[in-house]
Amino acid sequence: MTAGNVVFLFVLVAATGFFALNVQRLVRYLRLGYSEDRTDHPLTRIRNVLEIGIAQKKIFRDPIAGPMHALIFWGFMVLTAGTIEIVMAGVIPEFSFELILPRAVYLVYSASQDIFAALVIAAVAVALYRRLVLHPRRLEGDDLEHTDAIIILSMIAGLMVTLLLTNGFLLAADPSAFGGEKLISRMIGRAITQTMSPRSALLRYHIFWWTHALLILAFLNYLPYSKHLHVVTSLINVYFANTSGPGTRGAMRPMDLEADVEQFGASDVEHLSWKNLLDGYSCTECGRCTAACPANITGKPLSPRKIVVNTRQRLMEKAPAVTGDRMDFMRSALLHGGDDDSYASIGGDVAEHQLLGAYITDEELWACTSCRACVVECPVSIDQLDVINQLRRNLVLTESRFPSEMQPVFESLERNASPWAFDAGDRGRWAEGLRIPTMSEMAERGERPDLLFWVGCMGSFDDRAKKITVAFARIMQACGIRFAILGQEESCHGDPARRMGNEYLYQMLAKNAIETLDRYEVSTIVTHCPHCFHQIGNEFPQLGGNYEVVHHSTFIERLLEDGSIPLATAEGKRLTMAYHDSCYLGRYNDVYDAPRETLKRALPVVTLVEPPRTKDRGLCCGAGGGRMFMEERTGKRINVERTEELLATGADAIAVACPFCMTMISDGVKAAGSDVPVLDIAEVVASSLAVVSNGVHA
Amino acid sequence: MKIAVCIKRTPDSESRFRIAASGAAIDDTGLKFDIDDFAGYAVEAALQINEKAGGGESVVIAIGPDSVQESLRKAMSMGVDRAVHLKADAVPADGIAIAKALAAELQSGGFDLVLFGKHSFDSSSAVVGTATAELLGVPCVTAASELSVTGGTGVARRELEGAAELVSFPLPAVVTIDEGVARPRYPSLKGIMAAKKKPLETKPAQLGAARVTVQKAQLPPERPAGRIIGEGVAAVPELVRLLQTEAKVL
Ligand code: SF4
Ligand code: SF4
Repeated sequence: MTAGNVVFLFVLVAATGFFALNVQRLVRYLRLGYSEDRTDHPLTRIRNVLEIGIAQKKIFRDPIAGPMHALIFWGFMVLTAGTIEIVMAGVIPEFSFELILPRAVYLVYSASQDIFAALVIAAVAVALYRRLVLHPRRLEGDDLEHTDAIIILSMIAGLMVTLLLTNGFLLAADPSAFGGEKLISRMIGRAITQTMSPRSALLRYHIFWWTHALLILAFLNYLPYSKHLHVVTSLINVYFANTSGPGTRGAMRPMDLEADVEQFGASDVEHLSWKNLLDGYSCTECGRCTAACPANITGKPLSPRKIVVNTRQRLMEKAPAVTGDRMDFMRSALLHGGDDDSYASIGGDVAEHQLLGAYITDEELWACTSCRACVVECPVSIDQLDVINQLRRNLVLTESRFPSEMQPVFESLERNASPWAFDAGDRGRWAEGLRIPTMSEMAERGERPDLLFWVGCMGSFDDRAKKITVAFARIMQACGIRFAILGQEESCHGDPARRMGNEYLYQMLAKNAIETLDRYEVSTIVTHCPHCFHQIGNEFPQLGGNYEVVHHSTFIERLLEDGSIPLATAEGKRLTMAYHDSCYLGRYNDVYDAPRETLKRALPVVTLVEPPRTKDRGLCCGAGGGRMFMEERTGKRINVERTEELLATGADAIAVACPFCMTMISDGVKAAGSDVPVLDIAEVVASSLAVVSNGVHA
Repeated sequence: MKIAVCIKRTPDSESRFRIAASGAAIDDTGLKFDIDDFAGYAVEAALQINEKAGGGESVVIAIGPDSVQESLRKAMSMGVDRAVHLKADAVPADGIAIAKALAAELQSGGFDLVLFGKHSFDSSSAVVGTATAELLGVPCVTAASELSVTGGTGVARRELEGAAELVSFPLPAVVTIDEGVARPRYPSLKGIMAAKKKPLETKPAQLGAARVTVQKAQLPPERPAGRIIGEGVAAVPELVRLLQTEAKVL
């Protein structure tokens, strides 16, 4: 071992030791959150890591930043091998992978280091250009993040440049050091040879080797204090993300209301799960979520990125005090010096304030439509909505603080089991004269239907939505399907209460609905409301209600596919239609094609047009998350924004598959002064039903 | 301050009512009951007065069968400290009979203020509050839309037809509450959990003899369906004619 090796070994141990301490600190902070199991469905999790992590599937959703980031990421993976070689060579004299790898493998490896170093430099240049010159809106954060990003990008560039120069100087000193595979280093080497002697080149080789090696260790130790901590945590985060397992997707967390606690929901970081906190570590602050957020787009104060960043900031503020940790000093020294100190701007005492209030305001939380656009967009599978939902629970259950428009909704749900103050006795009124049996009528006759048509509160009480209900019932009657309704025994499943944070009321309503369904031994349910569909199908299992629930889009599509629906022969002029995706159907349940197929099959002469934001990128109508029942006072109305997009397609009609979307888009059309009709897919199909000889549908 | 709030449990006003087989009452089946709206405002007023004063005690009282305990718990989940259930098989139609039972309970309670709703949604007689005041021999202010207390004096605002008046009165007193005093709060789950542990005392109601009874109950006649007489300007003359001749409002 040379003296150099000894010095390096010493630096290496110190640097990795410091890094290890930091990792330990960060893990200790995570333990502030409550525990939860995230180890189910390991195969799905591994697939997520491969697809979303390694293959960067979600990163590529952005056509410019996507390839740039993927290049840096893959470059990093490849260059990590080189880093290992360099570190080992620092300790073991004359070490090289050449000694242990087969020749061909070594050549590929050696060449890849050169090429990727150059590619990463190019990608970093693009990234710096975007940040310093283009300033894309979604990257706009506070100055702090900006500085952090520039530091990181400069470090990466520095690593690459020193790597190439190290090899270049080595080749200038000793042209036989590498073979012909290191094309770029060779070019650099040749250029150096013309300006200095091999001796001076060797000296500079040593200088750059050390610079490069020290830069690696510095980078490693900067990470824990930076948003680029995601380099370390994002793959882990993707693995533990809540996307695995059927039925768990988009479902809100179960909650034990019997627990003897003072705190319901979350108002500070220790009321969140360790995974919510890990989300905070993993956020790259890329702003993809916020750019997709309907509330943010229309000028509300909500930004899902801010929710995640605030969670991390609050953790970093509170955890050192709670855990008695001293490792955090560098963070404040590095990132929080100067006037833009975000902690100082918050003010107050660490112990006094909370995540809610000091960082996140009520107004932000109530602006969320629970559309899931943020969750779907996030390249590292962060669940911003989960934090919002837990904070909302605290507002309602612990503090009873919410927009005043919500109270009549809660009260009506309590009294009438519907968000609107209608008498439960009127639920089945739409069906009068339609010869649709109720479950209790069938039970009296000792019969059982093939399926239950769950109508939903909108479909039962809202005048416009009742037409959808009737249209769908007519389709099923035309196909001779033996179905029944619950009539006045139907009651709200509680989804609006749950989304508004009132888990107590939700569980009461849901248990009640489950009891009714189980009393009739219901197993298959069809509904035209995506909220009923999602709630009963995906969230009732948490409370022991297990049913097969089919949304009418899928149901009608199947009927059309096997030719059960007697359609009139297509005629008339070619219609152009734009379909608006419902969040609870699309992003919550991946149903994108069924409603479109339904339209195409029902109207053979239809042309479907898509607005720019469509399918899993579709913009919410603005009704979800209980927003349907709240005033929209700030910024542009979400339904107007969405309707303008739909109208801009030039479609003759707009199709929806959700009664809530129906209300919002219809209002939007009116607001735009347009008379383009808004139709539910069931209405489109029902209007093309063939009339059979006896004058009624079969 | 020690405040008592006397509440009544009434059916939801959006319900579809039917007359019971007796022909002298509405049919309770399928109806959802809750604290009467005005009584809810009274509970809120009591809570706010004590919150503002930073202390005190509030007690909620109701007469009726065991089902009223649900409403008493609800008042406690809003923040009332304890409850008294005056047990009776039914609530009589005679307000004086009810007032006697309440006065018997309130007499020795040492309350500074006794609050009621200004009247209840179902019987609308507005008798119980005033009669109780009379039996207790204390001042009575009805239909207060604002209420505050300083020292031993209360100040209430009463909305009148086209005007409002401010009245002051010495405590103890009975005040019946109109809407306008802040909207009743929504109980938090924390409050609901806490209410389960708060004291609820049950004793028989010492109702007076009921001298008023309901003989017959009737539903209002169905409102005839609206009529569309036309659209736009062309329909105006006809509309004016009908408003003059049929509706006689012009
Ligand atoms: S769920 Fe939708 S509205 Fe809520 S924060 Fe995410 S993107 Fe915004
Ligand atoms: S939460 Fe995800 S999408 Fe949003 S800024 Fe962070 S990393 Fe980007």
